[in-house]
Amino acid sequence: MSQIIDWVDERLDLSGIRHFIAEKGVPIHTQKIWYYLGGVTLFLFMVQVASGILLLLYYRPSASEAYESVQFIVTQVEFGWLIRNIHSWSANLLILAAFAHLFSVFFLKSYRQPRELTWISGALLLFLMLGFGFSGYLLPWNELAFFATKVGTGIAGAVPFVGRGMLRFLRGGDDVTGATLSRFYALHVAILPAMTTVLVALHLLFVQRQGMSVPMKEARRLRAGGFQKQMPFFPDYILRDVLVWYVAIALLAALAAFYPWELGRKADPFAAVPAGIRPEWYFLAMFHTLKLLPSHILGFEGERLGVLAFGLAAALLVVVPFLDRRASREESSPWFTTVGLAALLYFVAFTIIGYLAS
Amino acid sequence: MAAGTTAAVLVLSASPVNAQTTANQCLVCHASLPDAALAAPAKAFPGDVHQQRGFGCVDCHGGNAATPDKSQAHNAARGYRGKPRGPQIIATCARCHSDPELMHKFAPRQRVDQAAEYASSVHGKRLAEGDLGVATCVTCHGAHGVRLVNDARSPAFPTNVAATCGTCHSSAEHMKSYKLPNGSPLPTSQRAEYERSVHYAALAGQRDMSAPTCNDCHGNHGAAPPGVSSLTTVCGTCHTVFQTKFATSVHAQIFEKACIECHSNHAVLAPSDRMLGTAKDTVCASCHEDKDDPGFVGATKMHDSMERLTSAVDSSAALIARVKNDGMEVGDQELALNEARTKLVLARTEVHMFDPAALDAIVNDGTKILAGVDQAGTKALGELAYRRRGLFVSLGVILLVVTALALKIKDLGKEQ
Repeated sequence: MSQIIDWVDERLDLSGIRHFIAEKGVPIHTQKIWYYLGGVTLFLFMVQVASGILLLLYYRPSASEAYESVQFIVTQVEFGWLIRNIHSWSANLLILAAFAHLFSVFFLKSYRQPRELTWISGALLLFLMLGFGFSGYLLPWNELAFFATKVGTGIAGAVPFVGRGMLRFLRGGDDVTGATLSRFYALHVAILPAMTTVLVALHLLFVQRQGMSVPMKEARRLRAGGFQKQMPFFPDYILRDVLVWYVAIALLAALAAFYPWELGRKADPFAAVPAGIRPEWYFLAMFHTLKLLPSHILGFEGERLGVLAFGLAAALLVVVPFLDRRASREESSPWFTTVGLAALLYFVAFTIIGYLAS
Repeated sequence: MAAGTTAAVLVLSASPVNAQTTANQCLVCHASLPDAALAAPAKAFPGDVHQQRGFGCVDCHGGNAATPDKSQAHNAARGYRGKPRGPQIIATCARCHSDPELMHKFAPRQRVDQAAEYASSVHGKRLAEGDLGVATCVTCHGAHGVRLVNDARSPAFPTNVAATCGTCHSSAEHMKSYKLPNGSPLPTSQRAEYERSVHYAALAGQRDMSAPTCNDCHGNHGAAPPGVSSLTTVCGTCHTVFQTKFATSVHAQIFEKACIECHSNHAVLAPSDRMLGTAKDTVCASCHEDKDDPGFVGATKMHDSMERLTSAVDSSAALIARVKNDGMEVGDQELALNEARTKLVLARTEVHMFDPAALDAIVNDGTKILAGVDQAGTKALGELAYRRRGLFVSLGVILLVVTALALKIKDLGKEQ
């Protein structure tokens, strides 16, 4: 092994990388546990890429074959059931981990100067993950996914001014058809992965360039001349990260074996809308809120206003580092913490209510 | 002669042209009359289908509706004929309802042969003989608050028909003077029996308007008991396949009352597989008691065949439900199960041929499909067990790796 490294080193001069690895340290403090969320999110994304590529070997993206091909994967292909179930469960755990990562970074105010770009790239990555979830949900072309996509793209159609165009762009026409499946497939396996690769690379680059952020209290202590205790990134931190990844693998395997993802019935555009249509859990809070809105608010169409509000909230989320000026000065910003807590409470409560209501 | 003249006057006056354009004085006076029997028609008439189409009191009763003066209004010279009774009712209604040209203006798709049909009915024949106790048009449709038949408030609306017929046919007092051809008294239990039947449950319970009520078997305007020879035709109107199967069976030659022999008539209960066989409570056993009787042997064979298929369907369905509950993909097996259930339905139809060999052929088709389902279900259970064993092995390996990592991390901590 060392001979190979020497051979490569001779040609490419790896001393810079070696030096970087040897010098890189991870701060040790009471909140360091939250650092692992970023790693586990990245790991689950890699699981998604690997299992997704394996599914591509058999999946056929057409309205007449998609359902049958997934059925073939889970019943006939050797370990196809495992790959499909891991892909489905990992997608959900990935979004859960991404949300947890986002909230932990938010409450630790790690977005503050100079890490604004890390936060922005991370927030955009979360939106991309939601896009992956939305587009991937339709791909098995089953009844639930078909009607949920109909409702979901309908919500996109309620965006003021550009909604109609967005709806037609997403569906590839006025209704959810085989054309929608082709588009969602292209989004899911080409467009979103390309964008995600660029953003993940940037996000990691920012993290490596700037190092791990420390909580504000810790930062103030350091500024006052305190000493920052650190652990080496390699091998100490990386081993801990790998340990967490192994736990994630164990969880994925258990979920895949005990709670296989149901395939349901093939989508039939002419069938009556089945009971219990609901989107994936991460869209439930938004879906249920839009359902509860009155048809008109202050003379505006309720759903349109709701979609606009969610769009505005997403935009505000992206620019949080520029709004929270106190945090940038390393002063506490209780208002932002309160808003974050309210948002988290709303998200959890409406997801549960939405789940129970449907 | 007098009746003919009256009819002629009425025919001349019955036209929407004569629809009252001024205030209907008949309604004005009758509504205020202290005698409830005379006031009731005036109160019921608004909302009547005829009133809504522009007809008035004089179109049936004659007279003059434009004057409040009773002697003028009830003037025989103006065609006033009072309250029609018996055959006059039929003639009054038939003036319009047997006139294709007139009816075309109001209800182009409505038949115009009701009066002719009525004349052929038991009611019509007895009326012609002078029996005024029989049903006429107004008995079933009402006189002054007539609604369209598809209006749920009409006495002739499907869910109300049994009660309407039962007004007379369930009344022992009303029916006491009527006898069956063999001289025995006419029963009055039909409505009570019908309301226990599977047909009534579908009609009233599930609001299935295609389920039969009295008039679907007996006719409405041409109401008559279906003759013994036409019983299978009556049931076969809806149960076509059963009729065809039964017609080829040995029982078609033997059963005097065809379908009714096993299923009863008004009290048709939900059929079940338990009707078949030679146990005490089965229908077959009521005739086939002797073990050497070919009918007894056939009934036993058919019972066993049906039992074989139903129990196989139940057990396969339970297996697939269990496998599905464990999260396995069983779409193909569910389709096959539905196919087997179709075979079960076909077998239940085939029973009406009373041919054990023909029944067995269908049952065998069904059990063959179910054998495939069971094989796939059992394989899925094995696969499930394999997956879980695999999981525990994987978890064991992961636990070892995690422990090794934890120990290494601990060592690194000590080194620092």
